[in-house]
Amino acid sequence: MMASKTQAAKPKVGFYGFTGCAGDLLAILHCEDELLDIFNAVDVRSFLMASSDVHDDEELDVAFLEGSITTNHQLESLADIRKRSKILVAIGSCACFGGPQAARLGYGDWKERFKKVYGNTKHTVAKPFESHPLDEYIKVDYHIPGCPIDRYQFFFALTRLAQGMSVELTTFPVCAECKWNENECLLLNAQLCLGPVTAGGCDSRCPSHNLPCIGCWGPTSEANVASEIDLLKERNFSSEEIVSKLRLFGGAAMVRRFADLLGIKAEEPARKPRPKKVREPVVTGRAKKKSPSKRPAAKSRAKKR
Amino acid sequence: MSLNRIKIESLARVEGHGGITVDFKEGKLKAVTVDIHEGPRLLETIAQGRVPSEVVSLTCRICAICTLSHRYAALRAMEKALEIEVPPKVRLMRDLMHCGEMIESHALHVFILALPDYLGYPSAVHMASEYLEDVQAGLRVKRFGVRLMELTAARSIHGENPVIGGFGRYPSKSELLRFKYEAESLIPDAERGVEILRNLRQPTYMEEGMTFMCTKPEHDRYGWVADRIIVSNGQEFNAWDYRKLTNERVVPHSMAKRSRFQDKPYFVGALARFNLLGERLDGVAGEHFRRCYNLSWIRNPMYNNVAQAIETVWALEEAPRIIDKLLTHEEDPAIVAPSRDKGAGSAAVEAPRGTLYHHYEIAEGRVVHTDIITPTAQFLDMMESHIRVAAKNLTDEGDTDNIELKLEMVVRAYDPCISCATHLVKVNWE
Repeated sequence: MMASKTQAAKPKVGFYGFTGCAGDLLAILHCEDELLDIFNAVDVRSFLMASSDVHDDEELDVAFLEGSITTNHQLESLADIRKRSKILVAIGSCACFGGPQAARLGYGDWKERFKKVYGNTKHTVAKPFESHPLDEYIKVDYHIPGCPIDRYQFFFALTRLAQGMSVELTTFPVCAECKWNENECLLLNAQLCLGPVTAGGCDSRCPSHNLPCIGCWGPTSEANVASEIDLLKERNFSSEEIVSKLRLFGGAAMVRRFADLLGIKAEEPARKPRPKKVREPVVTGRAKKKSPSKRPAAKSRAKKR
Repeated sequence: MSLNRIKIESLARVEGHGGITVDFKEGKLKAVTVDIHEGPRLLETIAQGRVPSEVVSLTCRICAICTLSHRYAALRAMEKALEIEVPPKVRLMRDLMHCGEMIESHALHVFILALPDYLGYPSAVHMASEYLEDVQAGLRVKRFGVRLMELTAARSIHGENPVIGGFGRYPSKSELLRFKYEAESLIPDAERGVEILRNLRQPTYMEEGMTFMCTKPEHDRYGWVADRIIVSNGQEFNAWDYRKLTNERVVPHSMAKRSRFQDKPYFVGALARFNLLGERLDGVAGEHFRRCYNLSWIRNPMYNNVAQAIETVWALEEAPRIIDKLLTHEEDPAIVAPSRDKGAGSAAVEAPRGTLYHHYEIAEGRVVHTDIITPTAQFLDMMESHIRVAAKNLTDEGDTDNIELKLEMVVRAYDPCISCATHLVKVNWE
């Protein structure tokens, strides 16, 4: 069944993982009922976690990338994938925002923390640095947030992109889904719920289990963080508690968009390590000088041009 | 032509980014290193100063495949630190979710990641052309594990329903019953994995004696959660003395720390559990164990694949037993609040790929110290050692065709959690 003769006509797709838990690629492997169909519908050229049949020197129609960038090798590999791919999709909170490993972006204490964990050992494998999302280095065509991503959003994106169409993902917050699920509002119960500012698409999973939203999908593009903070303060939560929760999964999006509100220095993303070997204009030029405020973070963007 | 260096830049079909380098000098094996390219995340330092509930949500994200084992270990350690005693129904629910993770992780590893090697395919998808029914059986079992995690944890990856002191929501009786019958119906599918592996010849080129370690449940049944650790040299330890067992250190070629017990590498995982506690296995799984077990199991890591396949059968037998007990608890207990805001706690659980330790120290309601030792970090030295033996034996015998694949199979038998990268295997011939 796999040796279909139409193989050549199928869109070429690659799946890649950088720093993270591999949860987004695993979420794709968790599509048991559809897995063989996915591998049949598109020509999977690279999915190292699932197959040793890897072709990483070819042009791709669509590349799906999970994880954030934390070493110089990853940066080179990222530039290479961008160069080879028509469409590049960031999947999961780490690729979109930097992940929980970016929760302290803007505090400037990464080196100190690195030393705390690894001591003074000089690593020979790679040059590590603080976690940043993909779009701080390259152009990302679509962002599919989630920790992990939702399989239905992934199917939707894959089927549209495989047919050369654009994708528009949800832009509403968890709060909207929570209302549709007719849950009792946890904010009214004085719980620290991030539902109003967090990207929807998870089917309000936590509030539907009587638990407050922890914000693991990152902020929605429409997030009114100022109002959320006021609302929580009215319920006697301290600024410190609120900021701690907002930052755990908010990563670079929080630094870019809400630095003032959160009392973080807005200097990020200024000091970005540059890739050593690659001199692609797409790496060094494009994404860098852009004003952070213009960048929609939580939602996918329709392709320009 | 002599072999100078074997370099496997990126290991396929394992979780994470790692490679192997084997160096030779004048035809003699010089050094073997397992290189971990995984980028550092410093999650221990992100945990610093946060409230315990946030830290539980954080540390389970260390790994997607073992997310519930991390969560289980974190919850147990936090509850010890905060002096929380959870009611029996909470413990049963946690054991049920643990079964879900074992079923999902093992079915993924046995059918999708490991079997293609034995049968000569680059992936399970390729394997499906010839072995469609086997792949589908594996996927059915895996699907059930995923759904059991969704039922108990609210999501198959990073489910947030298990919290400190209990659960946000409990499944209904009818849901539980449906899962019970489904688990029973899937046992033959899981047994298919055992049968395939039993009838294949396990390679022996890497054989070397091992030290094994796993948690030892207080009751006399098989299980994955305990406060005692048993070692194959006959010694036993308390889980909170985990540092004596693991002795973590940093090495230059790896972003993962390394462990040794009494200066020797050791094995954790299904093979360790079966070597140490296999006699406790009951039911169909017990029969399979007794049929498959032989003395090679104490020195051949490839049998970890067989042990995982049998453990999947046991988990499918155990889940209905847990559900039967759960059904006797009518009331859904409220989440238990902590009785204090400071303390220290360590806990061990068996993750699918071996013993996992979490340790937290809490002061004024904030986590001030986090220490997590994962199974992969513990067995990396043992894995390196088996690769060394394999490389030596294979080159001594001049059996160097497909040597990369043969070395990769050893790695995959361990079911390591690293994450995969880009390049293919490269061999430097001189």
